[in-house]
Amino acid sequence: MRLAGQLFLAFLLLAACDTAGRLVSWWLGLPVPGTVIGILFLLGGLVAIRRVPEAVGRVADFLLAHLNFLYIPAGVGVMSYAALLAEDLWPILVALFASTFLAMLAAGFAFMAVARLTEKRSRGE
Amino acid sequence: MSDIGIKLIYWDRVFEAGFWILVTLFFYYLALRIQRALGGTPLANPVLLAAAPIIGLLVAADIWVGDYMGGGQALLWLLGPATVGIAVPLYRNFTRVRSALLPMAAALVIGSTVAVISAIVIGEAMGASVETIRSLAPKSVTTPIAMGIAGEIGGYPSLAAAFVILTGIVGAVFGAAFFRLLHIRDERAKGFAMGIAAHGIGTARAFQESEVQGTFSGVAMALNGIVTALVLPLLWLAFG
Repeated sequence: MRLAGQLFLAFLLLAACDTAGRLVSWWLGLPVPGTVIGILFLLGGLVAIRRVPEAVGRVADFLLAHLNFLYIPAGVGVMSYAALLAEDLWPILVALFASTFLAMLAAGFAFMAVARLTEKRSRGE
Repeated sequence: MSDIGIKLIYWDRVFEAGFWILVTLFFYYLALRIQRALGGTPLANPVLLAAAPIIGLLVAADIWVGDYMGGGQALLWLLGPATVGIAVPLYRNFTRVRSALLPMAAALVIGSTVAVISAIVIGEAMGASVETIRSLAPKSVTTPIAMGIAGEIGGYPSLAAAFVILTGIVGAVFGAAFFRLLHIRDERAKGFAMGIAAHGIGTARAFQESEVQGTFSGVAMALNGIVTALVLPLLWLAFG
């Protein structure tokens, strides 16, 4: 019972960080999405207390493990645009596949190339 | 019409939303079972495996997608707190992330540029309409940001949202195969590339692979959202 209460409070904390982030983003007219600011709020809190409270860790791990579940409605929503998608079907399909592949290639190689340079240097010293 | 009538409508909506959430949960559970039975392969993507039969159900029963979305909105709202949870693995892996700042910066700048430019170039080369191309450009960032960007540069926000989801599914399903093909074996590089190219759905997959991959993917998703939101409209002003 006590654990259930703690888990609920932990969830409220995540929701509060999210809402606070959205409010700050909206008030200041920032181009940064509110949820990203919410991540920074929670991270700041964890850094301040220098540990992850058990309930917060469990709720966060659970939600992240089931992130896919929360994206299902967005997947269902794609059906509303079936007609628009069908108009440019081939360009869309090729662009989605090729561009995703190229973005992964570019990001992955850039990461590894710079990691090799910087990490070799720090090992050599 | 008394306030009783108003209350009835209210409960109707709640029950309807609850019903569709349960339906979604059921198909998600099935999708996870199928994925597990197939050895956890990314090809059996839970978003795809669960959304497809729900779409089939709505079409077969002639139910308006807006009715389904009553419950869907609740789940989409939950995405906010769930995404905030990325702070926890980020804190646990803080030293690891901090020591990779330079590789991340390079991958962010190059990856986000390639994600946008390649979509525009391919769309144009294959003769897609201007509106499609403009909606396609921000496909690699999370939904709310992509919708805002598409609106700003003259695309359709709702079509952009559909592209974002499809991009995420492509990235989550084929990411591991792409990395194998390209000999990318560094877990951090895999995660970061996944987050750049395939945002939240890619990140969901990355967390299925490992916490390190998920963390780097989450960080990349957040950074890419910011950079694309700042740079793409400027790019459009300059070359559009």
